[in-house]
Amino acid sequence: MGELKVVGKKVERVDVRSKVTGGALYAADVQLAGMLYGKIVRCYDHAHARVTSLDLSEAVKCKGVIKVLGPKDVTQKEYNASVLDMMVSADMRGVLGDIDDQSIFTDHVKHYGDAIAAVIATSEEAAERAAEKIKATYEELPVYLTADDAKQPDALQFRPEKPGNLAFQLPEMAFPNNAYAWGEVDDSFAEADIIVEDSFYVSKQKQCQMEPGSYIALYDDQKRLNCWTSTQMPKLVQKKLANLYELPMTRVKIHTTVIGGGFGARLGMVLEPETCALAMAVPGRPVKLLSPREEDWLTSPSRHPGKYWMKMGFKKDGTPVACDAKFENYKGAYYVDASGTAFTTGAWLGGMYKFDSLRYRGESYYTNQSICGAFRGYGNPQTNFVMEQMVDRGCAQLGADPIEWRKKWHKTIGDDGWCIGVPYNSCALDECLDRAAEAISWTEKRVKYKNQTGVKRRGIGVAVMNHTSGAMPMLLEHTVCDVLLHQDATATINLACSDMGQGSHTTLRQVAAETLDFPYDDIHIATGDTDAAGFDIGAHASRTLYVGGGAVKQACEDVRRQLFDRAALELEEDASNLYMEDKIIHVKGASNKSISVQTIADQGVNNFMNPETGELIGQPGQIQGYASFFPPHNAPPFGATIAEVEVDTETGEVKVIELVNAHDVGRAIHPGVVEGQLDGGAQQGLGMALTEETYFDEKGICLNNSFTDYKMFGPSDMPKMTNILVENPDPTGPFGAKGVGEAGIVPPVGATANAIFNAIGVQILEAPITPEKILKALEEKNNA
Amino acid sequence: MTSRVMRDFDLLLPESVAQAITLLATHKDKAAVLAGGTDLLVALKFDYDIDNVVSLALVPGLDVLEFDSERGLAIGAKVTIADLLKSSDVKEYYPALWQSAKVFATPQLRNTATVIGNILRASPAGDCSLAIYALGGILTLENATGRREVDLDDFWISYGVTARKDDELTISLQVPAPATGQKSAFRRMTRVTEDLSKLNAAVCLQMDGDECTGARVAMGCVGPTLIRLPKVENMLAGSVVTPELLQEISDTVASEINPIDDIRSSAEYRLKVAGVLVKRVIKLALNEGNDQ
Ligand SMILES: Cc1cc2nc3c(=O)[nH]c(=O)nc-3n(C[C@H](O)[C@H](O)[C@H](O)COP(=O)(O)OP(=O)(O)OC[C@H]3O[C@@H](n4cnc5c(N)ncnc54)[C@H](O)[C@@H]3O)c2cc1C
Repeated sequence: MGELKVVGKKVERVDVRSKVTGGALYAADVQLAGMLYGKIVRCYDHAHARVTSLDLSEAVKCKGVIKVLGPKDVTQKEYNASVLDMMVSADMRGVLGDIDDQSIFTDHVKHYGDAIAAVIATSEEAAERAAEKIKATYEELPVYLTADDAKQPDALQFRPEKPGNLAFQLPEMAFPNNAYAWGEVDDSFAEADIIVEDSFYVSKQKQCQMEPGSYIALYDDQKRLNCWTSTQMPKLVQKKLANLYELPMTRVKIHTTVIGGGFGARLGMVLEPETCALAMAVPGRPVKLLSPREEDWLTSPSRHPGKYWMKMGFKKDGTPVACDAKFENYKGAYYVDASGTAFTTGAWLGGMYKFDSLRYRGESYYTNQSICGAFRGYGNPQTNFVMEQMVDRGCAQLGADPIEWRKKWHKTIGDDGWCIGVPYNSCALDECLDRAAEAISWTEKRVKYKNQTGVKRRGIGVAVMNHTSGAMPMLLEHTVCDVLLHQDATATINLACSDMGQGSHTTLRQVAAETLDFPYDDIHIATGDTDAAGFDIGAHASRTLYVGGGAVKQACEDVRRQLFDRAALELEEDASNLYMEDKIIHVKGASNKSISVQTIADQGVNNFMNPETGELIGQPGQIQGYASFFPPHNAPPFGATIAEVEVDTETGEVKVIELVNAHDVGRAIHPGVVEGQLDGGAQQGLGMALTEETYFDEKGICLNNSFTDYKMFGPSDMPKMTNILVENPDPTGPFGAKGVGEAGIVPPVGATANAIFNAIGVQILEAPITPEKILKALEEKNNA
Repeated sequence: MTSRVMRDFDLLLPESVAQAITLLATHKDKAAVLAGGTDLLVALKFDYDIDNVVSLALVPGLDVLEFDSERGLAIGAKVTIADLLKSSDVKEYYPALWQSAKVFATPQLRNTATVIGNILRASPAGDCSLAIYALGGILTLENATGRREVDLDDFWISYGVTARKDDELTISLQVPAPATGQKSAFRRMTRVTEDLSKLNAAVCLQMDGDECTGARVAMGCVGPTLIRLPKVENMLAGSVVTPELLQEISDTVASEINPIDDIRSSAEYRLKVAGVLVKRVIKLALNEGNDQ
């Protein structure tokens, strides 16, 4: 690889100006002629109830009302808002037991805020006023908020095909004994000198993306169903809507609007099915549906909360002999991603350390909470909270330094990655740990913070993580990219990859510019139109740069090959004897023999005849590059965070003093974008560790579905933070890049918990670690 | 339960105090006064009784923020939290008030929210309200029959309820001038920086050398209204503030408060930590370090 010209540079992001000036067009900003407005009527009285009567009559009479829809007025087909089931084969879907269990409106309310009816009116206000007139009566049903509640033998069954309310467990066929496992765990524990074991709770964190759900749908005069949405996955949502409304894909069009943050909240469908149901009821009229924040909170998925038990065994010399774990997550009212997270939570566990044997069981239980699904890290933050605290408890008993132990026992090149049978092909975790330790003076501080007695106590803790770039080989990984070379030798890259603010349209453009060897400004990225773009799975699993970038690179290489072939014909030279510089193709060693890309591109389009000779000038045909790209691997990103905290032992308050994040990113295509991902990830990781949780009362009423009472870390809460980018190019990534979209959130979770452990000598087993819990734990420790 | 639509109401824009009072007299409990609107607009979405909003935007004379060494600090009905922060008098003579303004919400909110609106909201968590409670304050209210003054000690009746009558406009607030040796401080605890208090405390100590001759100690988030802690005040009055006294005070606080469990914290935690907070805020007032 020669010197990189665009890759590695902090070029201007493609979206920055429009976002800063307010020019970016979000779905809520889109206005269409004749627009109608929808309002969904939700049950806010109960979390579990049967609708015994539904009276729409008063609403119908309200001013401005066009239609009022109950459960029977819309499609009766059930669906699954998640798109996971589209990423595996039909056979695999059967093995996993993925089911469709959602309906547009329900007469069996399964969570606070479940949808029962809707109004379409000429204004948002008219729709809201009419919605208030809809009267429902309910028969209350028992509320199940945890796996233990839902498991009760006499508990009401959410779905007949899921006995025991067990929505998912690792299927026997693919996972003998329903476990992701290697070795003989029970035998291995017998060899352990030290065993640590505990039961944890991981919290229901919300993505808190800035843009609440906003949608428009229109069933147009071509009998096409159009949907304007800021989904992360336009192509899969197109297919899902086609399936739900029994339309061919050519009759469903997704218009992706600017995405105001995703983090998984827009992975798959959210309110697209409902919005389309409204539009189908009023053909020819666009219907807009805007969620208030409180509603977005309850209708888009959250992180999977649940009980997470873990046991680890070590030999005296530190050898990790066995790890046994079980995650019982509180799935929420519908199936959605029940299979995905229950598996990956264990996959990240399996991918981290060289235990002689390991067994992980993952189970998803239906509960009367709002749904869970994808959230940045996809099970990894949960595992980090538990696994990393257990490792540190082990280290404490072993008398081992947590960094040294991790350096010795983490998996590396050649070891099985998160998917057993797919070994890691790159790993720079040792360098991450060394550089982070040095940056924060780990060794000195570990000594200094021993035996503190004051009211305020400092602590320093570390955590590591492995993740993935795309979900190959578990899930389909595929992106199609077209490159159109214009006659002025600029190029448009056309693909369906979305940019949810993570910067992917910028980095994909950099990959294109670098591959074509064109200036960055000569490239435009066209996205957002499912009619025009080929297949793409969508933005998830830290894949967009890795897989999308792979597709862009391959399609641009196709363009380059065509350019060189034509230059070879024109210059009467072998293509291998040519090189390009400043968009001019030269013959090696003959500086006067050259042809510009501009000439080739122009002649391809404007293929005129020479009036004197009657011959065509140059090679005909507009050059287009194409790639249908399936990545060869999943280029694992690794990372380490060291956190320093100060705990106030009289109030339990935690102040995060400093965070150092060192990540093996392969190659930073755009260092600013990478740092942005790590900063934002850390903000969410600290929130998961310390403040973020969705609370329900015993009746299942959500108590904090808004920013008034759900507290994230704000700018002034953030500590001093250093990001170290370890660039160790991955052999399979575009220019060596690995995915960094999710990595940043993960290790701050465990590192913060471990820093608190280091400061006060007690581990807090429930996330988030609030002052209330710390104080209680300190009291228990003092009383013991 | 959730709404994106502000309900209909008439926005009334009086141009004098007299006009405002006439409007309040006409609409009584169907009207609300709009100052900064940071509480009112949130509540209005779901409050179907209020049809008339009487805005103070065009009423002159309500933005006085004036310090006089005899009369103390006069705060007009339109004075914002940000105005307090800009005042060197507030910073010098009423540290508790200045500290409460400093941590209050966010810059946008501080530019809009008024001090008097905070008091009228009668929230048990109000930050500036709490500081003023400790410093002492007298409100001037006016209706068609004239003006009256109400001591803050008699103003908050229960959660969200005050001694203000429906037709009264709050004109201003007077905080007494500090005598020599007055020391005050405010401190709050929140889940994250930008949050409503889960526990807050303010003290105003009259010091004569090492001896405290009188004290007002107030706490928030420990009952339906902001409260004062008479036992603690008595323990301080006439005493030298020693570490032992502080410890005794810290142990006493729990017996004077009646907190509940809510989304921001638990009764148990508040009972445990309130004493620590009061101890620290006293030390802060005495300039003995700002934390422990
Ligand atoms: C995001 C956010 C953060 C917040 N953070 C804090 C915080 O950190 N600390 C805190 O204490 N509060 C906080 N609040 C609450 C609120 O901002 C304060 O209570 C504020 O001081 C209210 O002042 P205002 O001028 O906006 O009052 P308004 O909303 O205009 O009025 C409040 C009430 O007082 C009445 N009223 C106002 N002026 C008069 C008058 N002259 N005569 C008669 N009645 C009157 C109104 O009718 C209304 O009932 C926050 C609010 C929000 C939305």
